Amino acid sequence: MGRDSCEAPFISPATLRWLFLAVIVVVWELVPRLGLVPSVMLAPASEAMIAGFQDFGTFARALGITFGQLASALIFAYGIGALAGLLLGSVYFLRETLLPIVSSIYAVPLVIVYPLLTAWVGIGPESKVIFGALYGFFPMALSVAAGVQTVDRQYILAARSMGARTSQILFQIMLPASVPSILSGLRIGGAMTAIGVVVAEMMAATGGIGFLITQNRTMFNTAEVYFGIFLVLILTGLLDMFIRLMERCFTNWYPKET
Amino acid sequence: MLSSSYRVLVQAGIVLILLGLWEAAVFSGLADTRTLPPPSEIAIHIVALLGDQDVLYNLWITSAQVGLAFLIVAPVGVAIGLLLGEHEYIGRAFRPFFYFLAGVPKSVFLPVFILTFGIGFTQKVAFGIFQAIFVLVISAIAAVGSVSPTLIKVARSYGANRWQLYSQIFLPAMMPVVIEGMRLGMIFNITGVVFAEMYVARAGIGHMIATWGMSFQMPQLFAGIFLTAFLSIAVNEVLRWYERRVDKWRK
Amino acid sequence: MAEVTDSMAHAPISSEKFDLSVEQVSLHFETPNGVLKAVDEVSFGVETGRFVGLVGPSGCGKSSLLLMMAGLQKATFGDIIVEGEPLTGPRPQDVGVIFQESSLLPWKTASENVEFPLALRGVDKAERKQLATDMLKLVGLSGFEDRHPFELSGGMKQRVSIARGFCQDPRILLMDEPFAALDEQTRMTLGDELLRIWEGHRKTVVFVTHSLTEAVYLCDDVIVMSAQPGRILERIEIDLPRPRTYETMATADFGRLRDRIWRLIRGSE
Repeated sequence: MGRDSCEAPFISPATLRWLFLAVIVVVWELVPRLGLVPSVMLAPASEAMIAGFQDFGTFARALGITFGQLASALIFAYGIGALAGLLLGSVYFLRETLLPIVSSIYAVPLVIVYPLLTAWVGIGPESKVIFGALYGFFPMALSVAAGVQTVDRQYILAARSMGARTSQILFQIMLPASVPSILSGLRIGGAMTAIGVVVAEMMAATGGIGFLITQNRTMFNTAEVYFGIFLVLILTGLLDMFIRLMERCFTNWYPKET
Repeated sequence: MLSSSYRVLVQAGIVLILLGLWEAAVFSGLADTRTLPPPSEIAIHIVALLGDQDVLYNLWITSAQVGLAFLIVAPVGVAIGLLLGEHEYIGRAFRPFFYFLAGVPKSVFLPVFILTFGIGFTQKVAFGIFQAIFVLVISAIAAVGSVSPTLIKVARSYGANRWQLYSQIFLPAMMPVVIEGMRLGMIFNITGVVFAEMYVARAGIGHMIATWGMSFQMPQLFAGIFLTAFLSIAVNEVLRWYERRVDKWRK
Repeated sequence: MAEVTDSMAHAPISSEKFDLSVEQVSLHFETPNGVLKAVDEVSFGVETGRFVGLVGPSGCGKSSLLLMMAGLQKATFGDIIVEGEPLTGPRPQDVGVIFQESSLLPWKTASENVEFPLALRGVDKAERKQLATDMLKLVGLSGFEDRHPFELSGGMKQRVSIARGFCQDPRILLMDEPFAALDEQTRMTLGDELLRIWEGHRKTVVFVTHSLTEAVYLCDDVIVMSAQPGRILERIEIDLPRPRTYETMATADFGRLRDRIWRLIRGSE
């Protein structure tokens, strides 16, 4: 088959994509309604929405709790992560010894420490904030460290030849050069913090959207479970959009990806 | 650059000092033994766990779930990525789905897997696959992009057919990036399986950790956490070592 | 034609008549296989307003030598005297460097990059903006002041680098293979541009390159180095008349000089 036959397709790739999406939504709606799949497994999309909006007060309260915990966790994840990343990336001794250890720990499934947190501080909001911050800490620290240590040596040499002082090199070269990796740390770290908070709520909690999902699951309220998941996706989607917006403001000197 | 043996020595020193401080804190009464057992006690419990038939059985269950999920997801993920990366039309139609889904938090979907597959072995494997597949597909797409177009032109000028092009040019040239994707996929896979075990399960090391936590058996809990952490790091380091070996020709 | 001033390459140099003099400079590195003599007992002087080239095979230490002349790298032995005083670190009023294109700061616009050496010195914003605009005009980049490096071609980026070097306004400008990353046509054009600007400013220039044609075309003197140990083989005066044009390259003298350097380098390997 010649490659040229791909050049003028029957329908454009974008159309095919939307068509496929539409088919999925229709199948999702019809399969449980026609009884092809038990309704416990899959609730029709419309039913999930209706169930959610009927009980919107409960969901809104849960979302509020999650949002508050997420905001506190982000402060710790970003703050401590950026500081640790800066030290790990720029101090030669730490970069050579501690940084590899930290990046190895990244491979550990951090969920296993959650029972420890609940044993220590209980199943209230504190354990969610700590766990979320822990989840976001590693990507944030590792991104910042990578950004700081990969600053092009040529920039520093050029600045020194023009008489830049150490503080000028730090603030006018190192910092702006690390902005892209700091922003990607904010983005990945933010997403991980959100996952951490929700996962913690799912496992043991007294409130929050993750707790609500688990509660509805144990009662086999499939429609409500789907609506809860939908809300989490919206929450993380908004967080991601917010950080991307910041990214666009700070990195106008970057060739834009298409 | 520090020499590698010196670096390992310093790293071991750092870990030992931290453990020593921890031990000292417990013995000086700064921390409560009931909530923070000393490292020496944890070490004894790790050895005990490794001799316990029940624990070994649960570790085996977890490994089997992780291993099976990986065996399924690795070829499937790479094949999908190769197709999406190499085929212009299909790629442009469906790549955005995978980019989008790779960024979606997947842990919240766990209840759906329970509602669909129950709480047994199959559900854990399915969830492990679900956690890992997107990062694998994305890295395989990136790997296709890393294959030099010159290599493809050369092979085509020699008259290679599509199958030969895939097996002789694309797959070997993609390997370094794909192996890195597999390593990341493995991390997500392990996290997914262990999380699923902790959430609702009848077996697996995650299930044991959750149970020890709920019953406040702190020494066992710590021992289980350290054991799982060691094993995950070991798997990751092995894959990283393989990655470096495969990556040699690129430099 | 080409007179060899052999004595200049080896004899100790009195620093008075030179803007820049390199005196018995060595740069040694410890390696597992013993001491690597990247630069070994190199001495030469550069008179005010002269355009001196530094050529040699890769690994002959010409770039290391340039870093030492900029005060960015400490010599293992020997001194570099600038304006009568040994160099101990960067001295931006006296010595400036034009690097390869990659040294433009990607987050700054063309104008901000050219202003950067002045900004570091605390020059007032409006004044340095004006100076940068003038300098960019001189290198033919009027209207590109607000572009970021990623929006400029390789040749344009190098023009910005040149503008930045002249805007810093040191007495001596060091250039480290500034045109190495460019294609042949752009190289030629930029060489002419550089000569034109230099005729107007008459700075003392040390120009590192691995292109023999470029060295003969641009320079008053070419210092030829050997690799491992990095030593001076000969200093060759290029007494071709200025201004030089494309026709200069077609002359027999040009060919002879270029050939002479080539034989020196090949003979040293």
